[in-house]
Amino acid sequence: MDHLQDERREIARALKTPGARPDPSLQITRRTFVHKSLLTAGVAAGAATFGWFPLINTVDLAWGQTAFKFAWVSDTHLYPKNVNTRFVEKAVRAMKEVQAMNPPADFLIFGGDLAQLGDPVELDLGNDILKEVKIRKVFIPGEHDWYLDMGKKWEALFGKQPWTFDHKGVRFVGLDTVSRAADYWTAKKMTPTERMGHMATLDGSVAGAWAGVGRDQLEWLNKTLSSWAKDRPVIVFTHNPLYEYYPPWNFWVRDWREVQEVLKPYKNVTNIHGHTHQVLYNEIGTMRSIGMLATSWPWPYAPDGVPALTKCHLRADPGDHFDGVGWAQLSVAAAGKVENEYMMWRKKDHILGEAQPDSGCGDNGNQILTPRLADREWVYPGSYK
Amino acid sequence: MRLTRSTLAGSAVLLAVVALMTMGANRALAHKEKHTPDQLKIFEDLFMEQVKLGDLLFHGDGATEKKLNAQLSKTGMACAMCHPFASDTHPHEFPKFQEQMNKFATLRDMINWCIEKPNEGIKINDDSDAMKALEAYIYWSNRGSRLDAGRH
Repeated sequence: MDHLQDERREIARALKTPGARPDPSLQITRRTFVHKSLLTAGVAAGAATFGWFPLINTVDLAWGQTAFKFAWVSDTHLYPKNVNTRFVEKAVRAMKEVQAMNPPADFLIFGGDLAQLGDPVELDLGNDILKEVKIRKVFIPGEHDWYLDMGKKWEALFGKQPWTFDHKGVRFVGLDTVSRAADYWTAKKMTPTERMGHMATLDGSVAGAWAGVGRDQLEWLNKTLSSWAKDRPVIVFTHNPLYEYYPPWNFWVRDWREVQEVLKPYKNVTNIHGHTHQVLYNEIGTMRSIGMLATSWPWPYAPDGVPALTKCHLRADPGDHFDGVGWAQLSVAAAGKVENEYMMWRKKDHILGEAQPDSGCGDNGNQILTPRLADREWVYPGSYK
Repeated sequence: MRLTRSTLAGSAVLLAVVALMTMGANRALAHKEKHTPDQLKIFEDLFMEQVKLGDLLFHGDGATEKKLNAQLSKTGMACAMCHPFASDTHPHEFPKFQEQMNKFATLRDMINWCIEKPNEGIKINDDSDAMKALEAYIYWSNRGSRLDAGRH
């Protein structure tokens, strides 16, 4: 652990050059949950209070003269309807709320993990639910969508990644961070179902460090951004965070340092990611990252690595399956200000926890965890149904 | 490790061996004899066998559920989907007042609440093999956590 801390400090020194922060024209607002005490004075004014609102994930953006909004939904983790209707209800609710936005969002980004076990029945169900939203939709995959048939069904429904488009002065990029796992299945003669089962186990060890951007996408990203002015806004959508939060649960991409090298020259970069199912905020140099809620269930905060700038959400009530989950709307306002509003389906004044007994991360001060053992032995009976 | 009847039978044999080794000819001195490395290894193996069974139950392994006569979920959800590495289970904080149940509760009460409510499974007996295995895994995974009974 000491070695890990040393390495993190060294990386921080390399990436967080003195004074480097995301471009201030992209303001942090009260809707993006950050610790105000950790922000510099120039930005703190916008973060003086924290958001009090219902919960989803949306983002307001603006660059130049035109303000607009877009919506993020991810991590619906749908099972077939005859197994679990709870997640279906929540996915349907999110889509209806996105469609009801007024003024309407310019587009919806679906951030991956539409299905739970990559089953074509699950992906078709998700595709049907997404039809509720009539505005433009763009998609990136999650690992749960991919490893039953290695993305065939996903790509047939939602197309290929990476992609990019420019919209009202912002360059948007969608990356695939899930499909580049090292082959852990062939030597062990796993069936596709077994392969998917291990991938779907967050705290499993069999699938290894599967999350990554890959050399091919790094080169594509470098080329794609090279025609974009360094001070203009870039928003990168990924399923996994583009920094190291907690590798044992793949709360990262393994090549995040290389990603930072590509993004470093750009002064106005926002990474929006899913996978972690929790409120997260981080900055590395000139890039900020915002973690989105799932509609399905909240993950606990990891035992270490929670970014210091993150203001954790309240401990979720496991008896209320609409607690700790939702979607988001994001706004791009004039002058490139990005606002993220978590649309959590909880009482609007009970989202964030500051006191130790209420905070999703403060709650675990006395907890020490051990990685699991049972799946390190082969033949392993399986970690799924 | 494949979970078979022979594995479970093996555990029973180990238990019998431990019983014989610790009882011996002079029961009164059972806890005053020095432990041999073999004895300690057997104690450890017995415990870890339960930990691994509990790990598999906790991660929704259908074969293990069947062998231990348990159905912990009917929603497709497994315990580990909200508690990776058994995080946020807080075994070191029980017993305590538990809001969801509105009562002073043990870890076993909480395990059964999760089985019945979020997972919509079938409650297990407090002294069942499945409960002991789940308890073994949860405690093992939280080794080193500070004992903090009663904390919310």
